[in-house]
Amino acid sequence: MFDMPVGQGPVHITLQMGPQLVRPVPAEVTEALLSAQITATAGERSGFQLAFDMTKNGIISRRLLPEGFFDPKTRLVVTVTVKGTTEVLFDGLVVRQEVGASNQPGHSTLTVTGEDLTLLMDLEERTARYPNLPPSERVLAILRRYSDYGIRPDVYTEKVAQPPHQDLRVHYQTGTDLQYVTELAHANGYTFYLEPGPTPGQSSARWGPEVRLGIRQHALNVNLDANSTVDQLTFAYDGTAREEPQARWQDPDTRLSTLLPQPPISPLRPPLGKRPTPALKRRTLSGTAKQQRGQAEAELLARAAISADVVSGSGSLDVNRHGYILQPRQLVGVRGAGRAYDGDYYVKSVTHNLRPGSFQQNFTLSREGLEARSDYVRP
Amino acid sequence: MTGIEPYENAFDSVPGAHPYPRTSRYHDAEIGIHRQADGTEVRYTKRRLLPPLPALDDDQETQQHTVAAGDRPDLLAQRYFGDPGQWWQIADANPVLDPRELTDEAGRVVDIPSAGGFPRGDRRV
Repeated sequence: MFDMPVGQGPVHITLQMGPQLVRPVPAEVTEALLSAQITATAGERSGFQLAFDMTKNGIISRRLLPEGFFDPKTRLVVTVTVKGTTEVLFDGLVVRQEVGASNQPGHSTLTVTGEDLTLLMDLEERTARYPNLPPSERVLAILRRYSDYGIRPDVYTEKVAQPPHQDLRVHYQTGTDLQYVTELAHANGYTFYLEPGPTPGQSSARWGPEVRLGIRQHALNVNLDANSTVDQLTFAYDGTAREEPQARWQDPDTRLSTLLPQPPISPLRPPLGKRPTPALKRRTLSGTAKQQRGQAEAELLARAAISADVVSGSGSLDVNRHGYILQPRQLVGVRGAGRAYDGDYYVKSVTHNLRPGSFQQNFTLSREGLEARSDYVRP
Repeated sequence: MTGIEPYENAFDSVPGAHPYPRTSRYHDAEIGIHRQADGTEVRYTKRRLLPPLPALDDDQETQQHTVAAGDRPDLLAQRYFGDPGQWWQIADANPVLDPRELTDEAGRVVDIPSAGGFPRGDRRV
């Protein structure tokens, strides 16, 4: 069963393309697909690269390419079905195409590269003022402009409340929508990313804390003889990665500056490891004295939370052997890596590598300390 | 249009926070809560209703399979989806009460959902 190529065995790939609403591509295009590489990372933009076989008199070189089927800003949705369960892997726009014409027959390729729908938010610079709006409402107001691409906002209120005050400060946006939304997410310890799915043509824009609770995905097994699902897994433990930020805040009435207390980061990031790593570095944040108190506290919390992950793992797995697609930005358990590194991890990024006959995933994991918190890993 | 969720809800709608895995036919079913007389809550899976079947002339979503001797729903699922546990998708596409009815008689034509098909449930993943 596992020797079967993609398309006949348990893995099926479906491409849909179109200017704004997508339709299934002609069968010749799917057949010409040589490889697909899709990268999805927490808090960053996802990207894809598809390579097509471009035969001399094929439909791609004769009709589709000149007619603008692969033009920039064409929308492309990649769906993969593994064992009858469908998953939308990617929803994005074509940015760039490369044609490699070769003297050898059968070696001419068309490579299409693109980015996910956040590219739309990054095209146009905008100056806008948001009087009396807290950060989450500013984000919601921005995201509502993109609903005709099927982007549904999934926005959460900030952890540290920052009541806006029009008389004190009016928040201004300079730069693109994506820059401003990402900046607001960083200032609150949140992440912003687009999650494609659940059906093609839809995606949800999450502006909120990283998902570090809930049911884990199927565990990654390493070094378990026949039960191993992961080809290799490397862990790194960087002691200097964690830093303790310090922020001073000045009271505008009394002109006294006080050191803000260290906030607990567990509400923003529920701990995954039993032994959290102490912070070796201490850094002072600049510019917090003149901010409003809520804003300064939020930034302190955000910096402390972002640098908390010191253990990182990377590896690759074969989806046919694993039986499931590993999803980024969710939790997964690891078994067989020894007592120190077993347990639950947050999946930071996943790169899907599809080609006829194989579906490989490269992934990176992270958490903040050694040893598992519970003695049970969801299989 | 959705509004802003309070921070406490951020971890509620966790992807995959459902007792059934994505491959299960109960993944899209709703989870109900029954409160017993003594106040304890019992969670249960609500009855799963099949989505409306596609129109007969619409042959995009299904392909036909003529049952041969020795066919079983799980063998068909292995052949078309690569996973014998997905036989319920075939049973859903041709509503039968007992899945064994599907392959009882040789020569019967069975609708097989296309393997690259899309999930019909509207539950968020």
